Amino acid sequence: MHIVILGNSTVAVAAVEAIRSIDNMENKITVVSNEPFFTYSHPLLPNYLVGEVEEDEEKFSYRRKGFYEQNKLNTILGDAAVFIDKNAKTVELKSGKEIAYDRLIVATGGIPIVPPMEGVNLENVFTFTNLTEVKKFKTALPNIKKCVVVGGGLIGTRLTEKLSIYGVETYLIELLERLVVLALDDYGAGLIRKELEKAGGHIITGDSVKSILGEKKVCGVKLASGKEISCDAVAIAIGVRPNMDIAKNAGLEVGRGGVITDEYMRTSDPNIFSGGDIVETYDLTSNQRRSIPILPIAYAQGEVAGLNILNREVKFKGGFPMNSMKIGGIEFISMGTVNPEKDAEIIERKYDNGDYKKFIIKNNCLSGAIFIGDIEKAGMFNWMIKERFNVKRIKDYFLKEDFGWKYFDRDTRNLRISRQLK
Amino acid sequence: MMKIIKVNEDVCVLCHLCEIACIVEHSESKDILKVFKREKPRPIARCAVEEDKPLSFSLMCRHCDDAPCVKACSNGSMHRDERGYVVVDEETCIGCWMCIMVCPYGVIRRDERRQKWNLSTKCNMCPDRDIPACVEVCPNEALVLGDVVECT
Ligand SMILES: Cc1cc2nc3c(=O)[nH]c(=O)nc-3n(C[C@H](O)[C@H](O)[C@H](O)COP(=O)(O)OP(=O)(O)OC[C@H]3O[C@@H](n4cnc5c(N)ncnc54)[C@H](O)[C@@H]3O)c2cc1C
Repeated sequence: MHIVILGNSTVAVAAVEAIRSIDNMENKITVVSNEPFFTYSHPLLPNYLVGEVEEDEEKFSYRRKGFYEQNKLNTILGDAAVFIDKNAKTVELKSGKEIAYDRLIVATGGIPIVPPMEGVNLENVFTFTNLTEVKKFKTALPNIKKCVVVGGGLIGTRLTEKLSIYGVETYLIELLERLVVLALDDYGAGLIRKELEKAGGHIITGDSVKSILGEKKVCGVKLASGKEISCDAVAIAIGVRPNMDIAKNAGLEVGRGGVITDEYMRTSDPNIFSGGDIVETYDLTSNQRRSIPILPIAYAQGEVAGLNILNREVKFKGGFPMNSMKIGGIEFISMGTVNPEKDAEIIERKYDNGDYKKFIIKNNCLSGAIFIGDIEKAGMFNWMIKERFNVKRIKDYFLKEDFGWKYFDRDTRNLRISRQLK
Repeated sequence: MMKIIKVNEDVCVLCHLCEIACIVEHSESKDILKVFKREKPRPIARCAVEEDKPLSFSLMCRHCDDAPCVKACSNGSMHRDERGYVVVDEETCIGCWMCIMVCPYGVIRRDERRQKWNLSTKCNMCPDRDIPACVEVCPNEALVLGDVVECT
């Protein structure tokens, strides 16, 4: 069987690893990517920008050298897929090449959301989702003195921190009243703001960039409030949306949050699978189908797609947002829906040493959590969310500094620790 | 079949020797006196004793079949070695704590003492030994090496 994968990132690698774990190298796998690079780690792009890690360092790669050879992959890197003919089962590439497939995985990820405003096409306006773009930014960086970052989410804040430390005078503009809206609450976001300011960043919330000013090159931005900020670069980091034109044009079913798949990660075409930032995912904590563009979900879905191509009947039942981040001296992990509706029970505590924990409980199930500072047990709560564990008897211990398995009932603890309870 | 360290809370005597043996095993010198007197930084114990008297037990990585930490790792540092155990490539780990975020047992530790990159630290089933140090040192078989009886 010839399995073709469009994309060379998290989903692609996961699918390859899943397939090769069971197929004795019997299938032919071709990986196609528009970018000409060895698979790399997107989360490290901010570090790469400011020179903390270089492209040729192993830690920047998503897999170790030799990954393609060891897995006998056919790679076509630097040539974009432009059209899928699902009836003929072929993919047309930009170069004009045509590839026939038996099974296809569409894993073209996300593309940056760029608001339609004046000046977005000026020189020194950058997006921040792939190496091709970040390379341009990096080349220009030595000549950038002042930069405006649009969007105070997970990427925008990280970028603001890195740029500020690097020595660029950075302005972060966020439309909402606080930063990292989806992953933190007011308290957590306040701490992040302080850290960014400590690093030298200027934070403007409750305002937005209306237009980018300049003739050929950026020379400033105009905000909705009327304020103008002079700068020599603009980084747009307001989020990603599914890169799904190719799927749409192929006639695959798509929704608002991305390509629609079933629990086997099969699209509306039986020979085409998908996963990652391009698909709509069932959020176990908000009970909605939506885009959840994070690496652990992309991996899990890519793995399920790969296994089901070999008819393993494995399901991806849903996921939820989760993030781990460090800004200045603040380390935090957040998961699930952290800004709940009114009817949720909230357990929270600020500790004397500055740590903070917050748990959101609905119908005796954990649906969200924030950990600031003391994060090492966070994964236990991740497990509780995923398994919809009944927390009625354990929740009173959640805020204890020494929270652990000792607070669970004996049976649950012993079954878990001996790996007999999922 | 792959063996893991089995934990028996009924016979743990709360001696913490497992933690000490772990530190020594993962040190430069592997000599208890040198480690505790001179080695800086001293390794972090990869097992941890939980106590709530009279209950106590030591816990370390369960080396899950379906290891979430491997899948969430942002750059492939968390991986399975030739023996099948889940281990960290210290050279490439950047300490992003994505593994900590998903470890269902809460048994991955933060080592924040390196110059540039943080490091995730967890049980690696003592690759240089037949029997892990903590199991060998345990005076009362509260930690033993045994087969996994998988759940259904
Ligand atoms: C700066 C940054 C930081 C991040 N940090 C985190 C983090 O800390 N934690 C976390 O969980 N997630 C993080 N993410 C998100 C994470 O990287 C993604 O969720 C994950 O990589 C999605 O994987 P994917 O395979 O679906 O898509 P992508 O990683 O987006 O890869 C898509 C692939 O498709 C290729 N492609 C696109 N179009 C075509 C085409 N037409 N033809 C052929 N190939 C094509 C691309 O070149 C690429 O190889 C971050 C992302 C960015 C950009």
